Amino acid sequence: MASITLSNITKFYGKVQVIEKFSGVFNDHEFITLLGPSGCGKTTMLRMIAGFEKPTSGEIKINDEIVSGSGVFVPPNLRGIGMVFQSYAVWPHMNVFDNVAYPLKIQKVSRAEIKKRVENILEAVHLAPFIERMPNELSGGQQQRVALGRALVSNPSVLLLDEPLSNLDAKLREAMRFEIKEIQKNFGITVVYVTHDQTEAMAMSDRIIVFDRGVVQQVDTPMNIYKNPANEFVADFVGKINFINGTAYENFIEFQGGQKMNYNGDKRGSVVVAVRPENILINRERGILKSKILQSYYLGDINDCRVDIDGTIFRVTAPGKTYGGFSNGSEVFLDFDEYLVFQK
Amino acid sequence: MKIQKNNSYFPLPNSYLNIKAALITAIAAFLLVFNVFPMGYLVFRSFWGENGFTLETFERIYTYALNWNALKNTLLTAGLAMIFGVMIAFPLAWLVGRTDLYGKKFFRTLFVMTYMVPPYVGAMAWLRLLNPRVGTLNVFLANLFGLSENPFNIYTLGGLTWVLTTFYYPYAFITISRAMENMDPSLEEASKISGASPLKTVMTVTFPIMLPSIVAAGLLVFISAASCYGIPSIIGAPGQIDTITTRIIDYVYVGSSDGLNDATALAVSLMIIANIVLYVSTFICGKKQYITVSGKSTRPNIVELGKWRVPVTILVSLFAVVVVIIPFATVAMTSFTVNLGKPLTSANFTTKYWNILLTRPAILKTVKNSLIAASAAATAGIIISCVMAWLLTRTKAKGRHIPDFLITLGSGTPSVVIALALIMTMSGKFGINIYNTLTIMIIAYMIKYLLMGMRTVVSAMSQIHPSLEEAALISGAEWHRGFWDVTLPLIAPSVVAGWFLIFMPSFYELTMSTLLYSTDTKTIGYELYFSQTYNSQQTASAIATGILILVIAVNWLLNKLTKGEFSI
Repeated sequence: MASITLSNITKFYGKVQVIEKFSGVFNDHEFITLLGPSGCGKTTMLRMIAGFEKPTSGEIKINDEIVSGSGVFVPPNLRGIGMVFQSYAVWPHMNVFDNVAYPLKIQKVSRAEIKKRVENILEAVHLAPFIERMPNELSGGQQQRVALGRALVSNPSVLLLDEPLSNLDAKLREAMRFEIKEIQKNFGITVVYVTHDQTEAMAMSDRIIVFDRGVVQQVDTPMNIYKNPANEFVADFVGKINFINGTAYENFIEFQGGQKMNYNGDKRGSVVVAVRPENILINRERGILKSKILQSYYLGDINDCRVDIDGTIFRVTAPGKTYGGFSNGSEVFLDFDEYLVFQK
Repeated sequence: MKIQKNNSYFPLPNSYLNIKAALITAIAAFLLVFNVFPMGYLVFRSFWGENGFTLETFERIYTYALNWNALKNTLLTAGLAMIFGVMIAFPLAWLVGRTDLYGKKFFRTLFVMTYMVPPYVGAMAWLRLLNPRVGTLNVFLANLFGLSENPFNIYTLGGLTWVLTTFYYPYAFITISRAMENMDPSLEEASKISGASPLKTVMTVTFPIMLPSIVAAGLLVFISAASCYGIPSIIGAPGQIDTITTRIIDYVYVGSSDGLNDATALAVSLMIIANIVLYVSTFICGKKQYITVSGKSTRPNIVELGKWRVPVTILVSLFAVVVVIIPFATVAMTSFTVNLGKPLTSANFTTKYWNILLTRPAILKTVKNSLIAASAAATAGIIISCVMAWLLTRTKAKGRHIPDFLITLGSGTPSVVIALALIMTMSGKFGINIYNTLTIMIIAYMIKYLLMGMRTVVSAMSQIHPSLEEAALISGAEWHRGFWDVTLPLIAPSVVAGWFLIFMPSFYELTMSTLLYSTDTKTIGYELYFSQTYNSQQTASAIATGILILVIAVNWLLNKLTKGEFSI
């Protein structure tokens, strides 16, 4: 049972504010992802939960117990948290067993018990055959699992992961995503996960918190973040998206360049229309927006096209099956299946 | 609610913040008392006469031709040693580090090891080889080329320059090699892909990028040669060639108050030169020298020498034979020779001097003194080094750069100046009297050699990613438990290496020991010098050979202990 409650957290480095007032509750068993570009404050937030950084103001509670704030500061070694570091931080002078057993040794667990629990955990992270290996004899992915095993071995109720997959190759990264999610379910653990990779965030999270320059932009489920991004930044950061400027009137939007599209929303005046590539229908004969193919790459499953709408460049992914290839410079028409309108 | 500002990786309770401050204060206080204050007093005394500020002392000493010549000799020989040293070191470093020269590893070890050999051993060897009348190499060359007289005379400025060069070029070699190792190979690859030949690449890319390190290396050679006492005292004395260091020690041995005043002024001259050089070289090249980590992270691209591979290897071997192997062999052979005027045959062979070395109580006493003093200096020094490494790499504690700066300054000060300053201030005049004790020597060694240990530990510590320690913390370990379980085992090889880097030069130290010894606290370095100059060259050679063996053994041991990661 572990929830994390953050109240009015701010963090300054000298005069630079890296976290602007943040409050939120991470529920028990929840998989929370802190997502944002580098330098957005997500790692600082994670390190404050771990206890490696102190918030400048505000309060952090784990399980209704204050660990930081109100004159209390519980150091990381007493917080009972598991953590996986970006660089793995597997100790190079200890073998796999000793690395994973370390938290239990600190807790003075009996030798037999340590052996049993380490073996179990290594089974869970698929490292059982490597128990005697030194870290330099392991691949990056295996070291990652050692770090994961060490973080989980003492059955923490909270697991923090700081960009754990960023040093792995693409294929392994995908495999590990499922594994981490699986482990979270099996262990019934609250996870706070930091990443700048939106695909990772989408795949694993119950809720995503999107950060930009220390300010939280949106807290929501992956589907809502994708379908109803709170602002241009979130729309742009999560998934691929095209933007086109225009002016909204009562029944239509007039785009930059003069073409018009029916609109019955409530925005008026200067707006930005955002459309994801897969929500654009492309047609050779008719449609709402006349445009020109600049480049088109036939990739088998899709046609990846760059299209010019009166000077605004759009990226469109048309199903490869339906359309075959487009020749550069040919005229096409676009319809927007789904789109978002942001006030400027 | 007041939040304690804490930038460290360890969010320690408030009391630990005070520990940082206390540690900084303690180290700084030690350095202030035994380093800054004595040097300051030396400067003060040389500029302060009965009527306040005066240059009188300087005028007086430098109107005396002997001193003026000593200054000129010092600058000339050190300057030439610098130029020749770099001219030797750069090509050697490049050949050993960046080409497919045969036996690269062996040559590297050989040249680096010379760095750990006391310079006076070189002086003893060259004295034997190039003595104008009976020098073995002289006689050999005269016979070989049918010359009517011996070609070389070691008792000249040229001879002095030669010995200084052959014993200080390794300083430049190490500095330049390290810079070459740290250089990104893709910089050279980019030049080659642009069409430049290997030689063109060296001249247009490698050399210019390395220039700051080369300048720093040269300055290091200059200041080491200018501060050297062992070589000019052994070679200069018979040839009546004085340098600043030999003049200072002559004045101190006179012992009068005037003598001390004059020594002070000379020492301050040397100190000013040294500090200018130190400032320039840290300004140009940072504080990178002195670290001798041989772990390589980048893989340098190797230049193939092609048809030059064999001739160049022969040339380098010849250099190694003349500059390293012949001198060391000469010293070793001298220790077994009965009559120095004759070649070493079985009739002329004796182990008498080794017996003396291993049995004579007076000599054993000096060995014991040196062992105690060097171990104490190394142990205290390495503790300070570890604390400094922690403060510098793991905290942002205010004022942590103050002891760092003072340690660098102390190391850059010529030995003879450190010793003189300690004599002047630690003889009871200001409430501390440790003159004639081993303590004063231990302090002198620490001030001179602490930097080597500190840089080694600091560089090891900065290579350990803080997350390794954080992982221990998050696993439930207290910070000191994490330090013990994680940090210490990882820096242990560097700590051991750092200990030896302080221990070795302290063990055979000559200059400071010559000024600071008393009848009870003679050291092995001084004993060797005394034997060489007044007593028996063979005994001195036996001692020197013993030291050489120790250097090689320690080097081997370190390599073994640290699995090849470290050697001196």
